[in-house]
Amino acid sequence: MIFVSMLVGLLYLSEFFFIDPFIAGHIPQGTEFGFVLIVILSVLSALVLPMNVYRINILKNSKRKIGGGVFGSFIGAFAGACSCGPVGFAIISTFGSVGATSMAFLTNYEIPIRIAAIGLLALTYFTTTKSLKVECKLNP
Amino acid sequence: MIKKGIIVGIVLAIAGISFFGYYSYSLNETVNLDMGRTHGNVSTAMGSPLLGDPSAPITIIEFGDYQCHACYNWFHTHKPAIYENYIATGKANLVFVDLAFLGHDSPIAAQASYCAEDQGMYWEYHDLLYNSQESKIDNGWANSERLKAFAFNLDLDMTLFESCLDSGKYSKRVQYNIGEAKKHGARATPTFIIVGPENQQEQFQGGQPYTTFKQIMDNMI
Repeated sequence: MIFVSMLVGLLYLSEFFFIDPFIAGHIPQGTEFGFVLIVILSVLSALVLPMNVYRINILKNSKRKIGGGVFGSFIGAFAGACSCGPVGFAIISTFGSVGATSMAFLTNYEIPIRIAAIGLLALTYFTTTKSLKVECKLNP
Repeated sequence: MIKKGIIVGIVLAIAGISFFGYYSYSLNETVNLDMGRTHGNVSTAMGSPLLGDPSAPITIIEFGDYQCHACYNWFHTHKPAIYENYIATGKANLVFVDLAFLGHDSPIAAQASYCAEDQGMYWEYHDLLYNSQESKIDNGWANSERLKAFAFNLDLDMTLFESCLDSGKYSKRVQYNIGEAKKHGARATPTFIIVGPENQQEQFQGGQPYTTFKQIMDNMI
């Protein structure tokens, strides 16, 4: 569910997918790499977020490690939000030149930011897996 | 008496020079706008000249920004098919209305396109801007110097173009277009309004594929 909602949401924000007036999708030439990064980001978010929620619920342990997953998903999603879309328009209209500068930064460095978000999610995935293996070990 | 004559002479000379200057300026940079032009309920009077047959039954209104990547993608991926099948065949025409909000250089680029229109080269300049767009917003690809270089590449009269761009002649025109876009609910670029032969309108946002346009326009014809 997380995978589908992340994927659909990010594809919509990045204008790969449209729901109005008809459901339609396309991958314009030159944007294929961005599309692949969105798929990877959605897969990793779908793995990392439930793992961390499980870890917190079951072990009632530190909430620290979920931070990386949420943060990674969050910046990945924002990097995908084209500044020419409704999100960018709202931010630029509200915050003026400061909003325009920050949205321009997110658009200009969209690919490196997405790669960084993927790196952060991958790191969170491995540390969470490791910690779950150690913390869930049954003591004889 | 002599003093009075000198003063009157100076005043007349200044008035004459001013009149001549204004007259020659208006001769060179006449703005030819149909102030009453509307499509559906959208005022396109300050927008681009029409691309295609003015009497075509359908009008596509595009609200766009020259620094917008989605507009760039639509321009290169889907517009050619729309042009070939609808605009060139006289079924539709297209008008571009600026929603220049993405960066500092966006409104200047829009103004430059109207300076090119003064010399009858609006669409050539428009196409050149979308062919020259770079991936980074406000990185200088659409600054004043580059806009002048684009005009030079199109063999425009540089004295006229530079005086037009540097004076901010079309600043208010671009602002009007931005206001018109916002008034009609454009919240992203590109946003399209397709106006049919009976003034029926379909509005949607994003650089949507050719199939979306085809479906809407075929239903209208």
